[in-house]
Amino acid sequence: MVDFATILAGFSDAFSLYNLMFVLLGVVLGQFVGAVPGIGPIMAMAIAIPFTFGLDPLPAIAFLVGVNKGGLVGGAVPAVLMNTPGTPDAAATALDGYPLARQGKPLKATKMALFSSVTGDTFSDIVLITISAPLAILALRMGPIEIVALMIFAFSILAGLVGTSLTKGIIAAALGLLVASIGTDPENFTPRLIFGFWDLFNGLPLPSVAIGLLAISEILHRLSLAHGNVRAAITVADTGNPDDRRVTWIEYWTCRYTMMRGALIGTVLGALPGIGSTAAAFMSYSMTKAGSKDPKSFGKGNLHGIAAAESANSAVVGANLIPLLTLGIPGSVGAALIISAFMIHGMQPGPLLFENQGRLVYGLFGAMLMANFLNLWVGQLGLRFWIKVVSAPESIIFSSALLLCFVGVSMATNGLFGVSIMLIFAVLGYVMASFGYSLVIFIIAFFLGPRFEKSIAQSLSLTNGDLTQVFKSPVAAALLILSVASFIWFLRKNVQDDAE
Amino acid sequence: MKLKTKLLAFAAGAMMALSGPAMAQDWAPDGPLTIQIGFGAGGSTDTMGRILGKVMADNTGWNIIVENKPGGGGVAMFTGLSQMPPNGQTIGMGVSIPVLVQLVQRGDQLPFDTTSFDYLGTIAKAELALVASKDAPFDDLDGMIAYAKKQGGLPLATMAPPQVLMMKATSRVKDAEFNLVTADGGAEVMKLILGGQVLAGFGSGEHVPYLESGDMKVIASANQSRLSYAPEVKTFVESGVNAFVDPVFFLAMTGGTDPAAVAAISAAMAEAVKSDEIAEIVKNAVQGAPINMGPEGTQQMMTDGLAAAEVLFAE
Amino acid sequence: MKGTAMSSSSDRISGAFFCLFGLAMYFLVIPVYVETAEGGSLAPNTLPNIISIIIAVSGAFLVIKPTKHQMRDPRRMAITGFYVLLLIAGIYGMSKFGFEFVAPVLAFALMWMIGERRPLWLISGVVLMPALIWFVVTQLLGRGLP
Repeated sequence: MVDFATILAGFSDAFSLYNLMFVLLGVVLGQFVGAVPGIGPIMAMAIAIPFTFGLDPLPAIAFLVGVNKGGLVGGAVPAVLMNTPGTPDAAATALDGYPLARQGKPLKATKMALFSSVTGDTFSDIVLITISAPLAILALRMGPIEIVALMIFAFSILAGLVGTSLTKGIIAAALGLLVASIGTDPENFTPRLIFGFWDLFNGLPLPSVAIGLLAISEILHRLSLAHGNVRAAITVADTGNPDDRRVTWIEYWTCRYTMMRGALIGTVLGALPGIGSTAAAFMSYSMTKAGSKDPKSFGKGNLHGIAAAESANSAVVGANLIPLLTLGIPGSVGAALIISAFMIHGMQPGPLLFENQGRLVYGLFGAMLMANFLNLWVGQLGLRFWIKVVSAPESIIFSSALLLCFVGVSMATNGLFGVSIMLIFAVLGYVMASFGYSLVIFIIAFFLGPRFEKSIAQSLSLTNGDLTQVFKSPVAAALLILSVASFIWFLRKNVQDDAE
Repeated sequence: MKLKTKLLAFAAGAMMALSGPAMAQDWAPDGPLTIQIGFGAGGSTDTMGRILGKVMADNTGWNIIVENKPGGGGVAMFTGLSQMPPNGQTIGMGVSIPVLVQLVQRGDQLPFDTTSFDYLGTIAKAELALVASKDAPFDDLDGMIAYAKKQGGLPLATMAPPQVLMMKATSRVKDAEFNLVTADGGAEVMKLILGGQVLAGFGSGEHVPYLESGDMKVIASANQSRLSYAPEVKTFVESGVNAFVDPVFFLAMTGGTDPAAVAAISAAMAEAVKSDEIAEIVKNAVQGAPINMGPEGTQQMMTDGLAAAEVLFAE
Repeated sequence: MKGTAMSSSSDRISGAFFCLFGLAMYFLVIPVYVETAEGGSLAPNTLPNIISIIIAVSGAFLVIKPTKHQMRDPRRMAITGFYVLLLIAGIYGMSKFGFEFVAPVLAFALMWMIGERRPLWLISGVVLMPALIWFVVTQLLGRGLP
């Protein structure tokens, strides 16, 4: 175990003015870049890594953590203000954030997102700092069979998001899985449905699909509404009531259980590599909606909806570091980039990291806590700036957003090929939405699809194709029984809500 | 203009022959130079490529852009590179084995072969090891095979088709069964071993911290030669399974590029590979020292590698 | 637009489409574009085949039992189509001439179609914004534009 003096030394390193400067710089950059349509925090980190080469390890990694955390807050901004999420997890925030912004309360909506994001993030950071070692060992016990069961459980909870038609929900999910199978099969790596395009060998580029389906399709819809009709992209209603511009303590406090649940879901899923923040955000949202006394108010600007989504997706990021720091296993692209920063500075995360680099690790923890605090502070100022920006006419907002998405997706993927894919998915998203198919269900299935198939293949390999062995794993069996129960429960809930 | 280029090329070539890399500085790229990495952000190839780009830029003053073009273990990137005009502005960085395997398995569908490129050099060689948890009831490949026979099957994690083929060759020769689990990269192999879901698996460096901590042990070297950090452990070949893979990180440009450009860039690259920064990142990424085979050496490595891959991977 | 005949027909159309799509994937596309592999526990075509059948069956079910979904206004959808064509032209143009030359033209066309006529806003969107993107991407980040 790391002794107390090392922990103290680490924290005091983090709180030195020099290191705080880099955390602040990272947070500002992350919040800003995360909010720009089509760019996002992952690309910001990838670009920033070589620039940290000349720095000492702690400021370098603290800076990247700042970018990552700032990006989480920034990512919610376009989702809430324009209904154009740049990442699928922010799509959950848009479900209630955008309606609230449309009611003339954009500041209230974005602030709620900020507060719940920082709350969820801080929760998972504290879990990371205090009990990461036992949690990581628990996560290791989740083998392929348990992961398959967990993903089935996640799908069953998402049944709560299906809406009016189960059939259309199933089609949207199946389509997402089918599109996810483009690329290579998970076992033999033979090309599958790539139609001669070798660029598709690694599957459809995620930024193209996410931004095309979620953001551009929405912009296309809004363009048709704005056509010949010049107006501001968003209007801040001057109701004279200051509570429309802020989140009161009472409002925050009534969301405490929602945020705790979100943070818990995010932390658990984040500790397991490869599941990701999208599933966490939507599971939290779906459970909050189903557990609410007033489920009909969701999707119409309910603060609980924002709190559920943001607390969960932000908690994932802190928790992603649990398998990374203790075992050297990255749970997401963001985490993989942090590993690469460690490698640049001559360290490999793994079992000996706490022993060999205890002071640095606790310095990192200190920097993470500071980044959360700074996020809150920078966010208060930044949100006002973004609301000013989107108060500009729709003509310039939409044309600029489209250009930025072109550039961003082209940088994040294979140039214009990725941009063309983005446009294809924008049209698909627009048509699907026009015919009443859920884009959210599609994108969740798309993101979980590859992991799901791979885990099934791994399970089949381990059990020699004998699926009854699933019931030898108590965890998997329990999850499967829970899945059936929750699927039925959510469906009945849906039917009841419709009947009312 | 054209004459000037030709003259320059001639001059550069002549001077290269006379005085080595130093004079290649006479050539400079016309605009930014792009290094395309055939893998996604955040892996060993990406990290090494970004640092290489930075060191080269610092040394030469050129504007160097590093981009990720993932897909098919580098095949997507090399496909694009082979179709580009040879304007001396784009460099591809990839790993030899995945490209060679695709060339063997579906070369007729690919628009390039090993002769489509002008090779610049290599950075490093990956050391691929078969490792197991310290509690595994065997200590070497023969022991593992015996255990697999006794149990009627042994769960083992791989991360790419070449390793699957190596294990299938082992099954054939030694008549032992393996339950091959395909993992998503070395980190997941480690997770499966530590979690006890598999008994052994392949690692290309991710396992080294666990060797140091004593949580894992090396069972065999999957390279042609033994591992630098575990010289006492035998290779697959030494245990009677005639199969090995030697993944090499290399750089290349579109075939037919101006020889002056190739000379200058490979000289700049060679200089960068000698730097301390590269030595450190290579050590952290693959546990070995930087290896630069030079342009001809790299070409030879790819030609020989293709022949070796044909033997191992042809169905 | 409130007639149920109109709205249930939207589900019938999409249901029929997905039914045919699923069948086409199963019988025509997957057999050609998915390779078969030796060994392994899960064949490359297993999951796509199962999904295609689910899509076809669900689509057929939707034709039989449509919901009362209201489609978006077809006139608006046609306008969207024009914007899509503009963006396709933009991507094609960028592949030929590069972002620097196409972006201002694309931005101008978009803003003009929306109905923006105020010179100051037009200048901001057509000149300043592309210039800013160019500066940040190529100068600050040292990356390439499409």
